[in-house]
Amino acid sequence: MTKNSYKTGPDELGYYGEGDAAMGGMAVGETLMPALHELNQGFEEAIKDKKFLDEFAYYCKHYIGRPSPLYFAENLTKELGGARIFFKQEHLNHTGSHKITNSLFQVLLAKRMGKKSLICESGAGQHYSATAAVAAKFGMPLIGVMGEVDIARVNQNIIKAKHYGAKLKAVPGTLKEAITDAIKTWTTNPDFAYICGSVVSSHPFPKIVAFAQSIIGREIREQSLEQEGKLPDMIVGCVGGGSNFAGAIYDFLDEPSVSKIGVEAHETAALSNGTPGIMQGMKTYMLQTDDGAKSLGGMSLGAGITYFSVGPLHSYLKDQKAVTYSSATDKEMLEAYKIIARTEGICSALEPMAAAAEVIFRQAKNKPKDYTICLSLCGRGEKDLDTIQENIGKDFE
Amino acid sequence: MSERFKKIFENKNPKTKLVSYFVGCYPTPHESFKLIKEAIENGVSILEIGYCTSEASAEGPVIKAAHDHVLKSGYSLNDTIKLIDKIRSYNKDVGILLMGYIANLYKYPIKKFVDDIKKAGADAVLVVDAPHELKEENELRDALNDNGLSLIKLAAPTTDQKRLEDIIKISSGFIYQVNVSGVTGVKSANETDVANFVKRIKKLTNIPVCSGFGIKSPEDAKKVANSGCNGVIVGSTFVKYIQDNLSAPDLTQSFGKQVKSFSEVLK
Repeated sequence: MTKNSYKTGPDELGYYGEGDAAMGGMAVGETLMPALHELNQGFEEAIKDKKFLDEFAYYCKHYIGRPSPLYFAENLTKELGGARIFFKQEHLNHTGSHKITNSLFQVLLAKRMGKKSLICESGAGQHYSATAAVAAKFGMPLIGVMGEVDIARVNQNIIKAKHYGAKLKAVPGTLKEAITDAIKTWTTNPDFAYICGSVVSSHPFPKIVAFAQSIIGREIREQSLEQEGKLPDMIVGCVGGGSNFAGAIYDFLDEPSVSKIGVEAHETAALSNGTPGIMQGMKTYMLQTDDGAKSLGGMSLGAGITYFSVGPLHSYLKDQKAVTYSSATDKEMLEAYKIIARTEGICSALEPMAAAAEVIFRQAKNKPKDYTICLSLCGRGEKDLDTIQENIGKDFE
Repeated sequence: MSERFKKIFENKNPKTKLVSYFVGCYPTPHESFKLIKEAIENGVSILEIGYCTSEASAEGPVIKAAHDHVLKSGYSLNDTIKLIDKIRSYNKDVGILLMGYIANLYKYPIKKFVDDIKKAGADAVLVVDAPHELKEENELRDALNDNGLSLIKLAAPTTDQKRLEDIIKISSGFIYQVNVSGVTGVKSANETDVANFVKRIKKLTNIPVCSGFGIKSPEDAKKVANSGCNGVIVGSTFVKYIQDNLSAPDLTQSFGKQVKSFSEVLK
């Protein structure tokens, strides 16, 4: 990694940064090491192949519906009376979140590498249903691993994935347990392609997922220049593993004039409350016992951001002070949901409401009227309607 | 390189060494010590003692349940190192290998860990999720080498020739040859695959080879021993025996017999 840029990616062993402070790496068992090296090589070759990139671009446009709009949230802006707020409408993508861009990229890569079967993990089920859709499209069987707690609360994604032909493996717990079990499932089937859903796990996944999702930031740049004649002053996104936020900010990493705030769930705020450790394939900030024996962390209403750890790129950017990280409570997320539903007629997923809470309650109001904030709305709310109804249904009566 | 391991493998008896895996402090430190003593008395050459982490990525259901039990009971890597100290006071000849994940060692931290296990009398360490690409593996390997201890490396069925050569170059003590692609205690080892793999490694090095994963009965152990490996590693089968008989009053004695049924066929 060169000293002048945050964008040159991890080194050949997957480290962001240097020396003891370096984050990332490859902490997995020997059985998977050859597959990870093969994947890294396959990725490096594919991104130099114009035909492959053209195919990815074609399906991004015609299958996913990219670019997702950058929408001026006029009513919300008026209500808060400060900065101009824009929504990056990732929830309008096919299957309802940013996840499908990464699923599409990795499934095309797996196909190019001659892989026949797929594995994925999921928290909110967005990555599972997205990967299931793409797997159906390209005729590849998929096993998805999810925690039982999440399966119960995001049922719509489970049903959709079933219709697309995917098989579900249920494990006790949430996203954390799903990630550990996905690695076990891959170890048992090392000839499968593992379609990792976020910028987490062993190298080269953080690099691959950041590459695939960086399209979000490039679209923001183009759209903001066209619509506003300038770059956004601030980009805010929610962070579980951190793929939508990494994608939104990646193109701007070397531009300090664009402020960047990543928002975790209060109960699993690895970057605010964690310490460096090595679990689930990577060195990164995480919530853990002092002796590193146990992962910790509570439960958030946002299944996709209920994650005790975080992608190593974010840990590196935190240490470099290139990006600010904060957290939001369930209560704030629900309040933000209400405000956005009422002012803009958008039913958002709960995860991006962590980022919305940061914008609404802490950022927008005191900013000048020509200050622009881009909020990444990375998922739609259908999957969360039961949870929302249960918690604040009476507020809408 | 551990002197004790050297002695163990130079000794002609038993012909094939029995390496047995224990979850350290399972079900309690006291019970764990009693079971391990019994294993030593019944022909185990090397004890592989696991320390626990919640996100262990290579453990099947049997060992995972034991790990969860130990973590829930609040026993830590420190308690397992104390257990090793006790075992070493009891027996000077048995080989002791600590096995686990990098999460705990990183926090310990690594240099202090090596000092402490050396004092306790361990001979070697195996870290499942620390390939040589990982910085912490390099740090651990250097610290162990400086202290005359061994870092045991894994060779898997997926390991290609170039990697195998790299792994052999940095191996000391013995090479842990993984028989199947998978987590512990699920798939069974295939005799022909094991024999071919052992041959492949033996062609490249004189370092002893111990073969593990998928060995569920004395018959399996015998077949794997016939492949020409120097040791046979039994893990989940022993842990499951302990798990299934936790409330049996004669667990210690009957476990001894169970161990003996394996060591007998390896003489």
